[in-house]
Amino acid sequence: MAQPKEIFVKSERCLGCMSCMIACSVEHSPGKTLFSAIAEPVVPKSRVYVEWAPPAKKIPLVCRQCEDAPCMFACISGAISRNDDGTVVTDADKCIGCWTCVMVCPYGVIGRDIDAGKAYRCDRCPDRDIPACVHACPTGALLYETVPDYSKSMRQKASEELARAEGE
Amino acid sequence: MPGRKVNDVDQRTAKYVIIGGSAAGMTAAHTIRARDPGSSITVLSDEPDMPYYRPLIPYVVSGKKSVREMALHGCGPYTGTDIRVETDSRVTSVDTEAKTVFVENGGSVRYGKVLFATGSRPFIPPDIEGIETPGVFALRKLLDAREMHKRAAQTSHAVLLGGGLLNLKAAFALLERGLEVTLVVYSPEVLSQLMEPRDAAPVREALDDAGLKIRTGAAAVAVESDSDGVAGVLLDDGSEIACRMVCIGKGVRPNVEFLETSGIVLDSGIVADACTACSRPDTFTAGDVAVTHDPISEDRVMTALWTNAVEMGRCAGLNMAGVQTAYAGTFGILNATQIARLPFVSMGVVHTSGLDCEVHRHRSRGSYRKMVFSPDGARLVGMVLIGDIRNAGLYRHVIRERMEVSHIKRQIIDHSLHGGHFFR
Repeated sequence: MAQPKEIFVKSERCLGCMSCMIACSVEHSPGKTLFSAIAEPVVPKSRVYVEWAPPAKKIPLVCRQCEDAPCMFACISGAISRNDDGTVVTDADKCIGCWTCVMVCPYGVIGRDIDAGKAYRCDRCPDRDIPACVHACPTGALLYETVPDYSKSMRQKASEELARAEGE
Repeated sequence: MPGRKVNDVDQRTAKYVIIGGSAAGMTAAHTIRARDPGSSITVLSDEPDMPYYRPLIPYVVSGKKSVREMALHGCGPYTGTDIRVETDSRVTSVDTEAKTVFVENGGSVRYGKVLFATGSRPFIPPDIEGIETPGVFALRKLLDAREMHKRAAQTSHAVLLGGGLLNLKAAFALLERGLEVTLVVYSPEVLSQLMEPRDAAPVREALDDAGLKIRTGAAAVAVESDSDGVAGVLLDDGSEIACRMVCIGKGVRPNVEFLETSGIVLDSGIVADACTACSRPDTFTAGDVAVTHDPISEDRVMTALWTNAVEMGRCAGLNMAGVQTAYAGTFGILNATQIARLPFVSMGVVHTSGLDCEVHRHRSRGSYRKMVFSPDGARLVGMVLIGDIRNAGLYRHVIRERMEVSHIKRQIIDHSLHGGHFFR
């Protein structure tokens, strides 16, 4: 089986521009364009959250699709399951808005639509090749790669730095 | 075993026998299946229905969900195959020497390893006269929900005894059916197990606004009846409420009686060691029936919560499949829900009167929170969030890991903690 791609976060590259949040909201709006999204009667909601932490860190937070997904096990209505591609998804029809998933998610990345009484979360944009947030990120703080590709790029970068240091 | 021979002709064998077909039992079964693909797993359930999501039964009362929509199989983590589930199979005793369980309607099953996940049943107060009358319910099983659904069609007023979460859910299911609902609560306020009266005030207001009638500080002494069953409830102050339906939600008791002659160590429930094992070889326990520990108070606890049962069932399944795994225990209180359009979460130490804890309360429009720190203020030990419950899972993590919180204490008190605070 092909290695699935994951969303990686390089927080040191994040400028806090929140382009990812806008792109995510738009992608998950019925019209899927910025102009239609703005006029939506229900304000489109982002599934990625850019947070600020002292002293001056900006951190994009997105569902980690945990291997051990606590939300899936905790769900009391059978609404959360794992797709064949490894994505953990919430079935809005089955969700009863009990917020047990919110209570157990250690990353705080499950959203609550209080009016609808439904939880929502990152679905890795099933209609796109690259998730909207990653596509929108201007600095490469969000990457969409397989684990081997990502670790290879990290190794390469480390060895280049090592070589540079030894050359001096 | 008196009256029974272990070599009965109808004896069957399974490598893994699981007694109880709900959250703990089924999670254990699927966990074992993932680790041990070829082995035989038999689940014995005393219910007539195949395993289902028990927390959804109030939706059967309201008519918002069909039984088919509640089936466990194929949902979430319950995707394992070849797990034999025998319904209507109540286990009456266990012989841990002969490694055999005996089923009520005859027959026995020999086990390699056994899990006791028999759950709990509603506590029915023995001092209420006439409690056996038709029309008196305790919502626990799908069977009860179906009966309640039927009865609700014949009545315009229901009286619910007990102010806990289950009764509140039942109350809203009945309100949705258009019934008048009166909640009779002995405690000074609803949800007394989950929060102190003053902390429950925002919830109470929402319940009042939703049209639920609540009588606190009152207890039922008798259920009155006529030829159609329940006709009313008599309270301890002498007043009467006419109604055609009564629902009892006064907590639960563990189903342990089948082990009384087994030699398994019991202490109200079934005593589990750090790795979910019981006191005899190859016996394990999980779920409502198991006595486990609270990592914060270090007390022995029994909880009746789906989420906890799943977590412990998973741990027991791993241990049974040979992967030694310690159970992290659970908070005595750990609840999230939404009633009357108001979400709330309660976890850890929340009853603070008489305790020396550092407590921070904050109420604003539409939301309320109470953060409870250890007496020295160094650790978060509990919290109640009402309305704005964002990031509740982070607090659970902070409490459970007994984190030293000085660097994030301001954020906890202000309820502005987010995942970014844990990035290095």
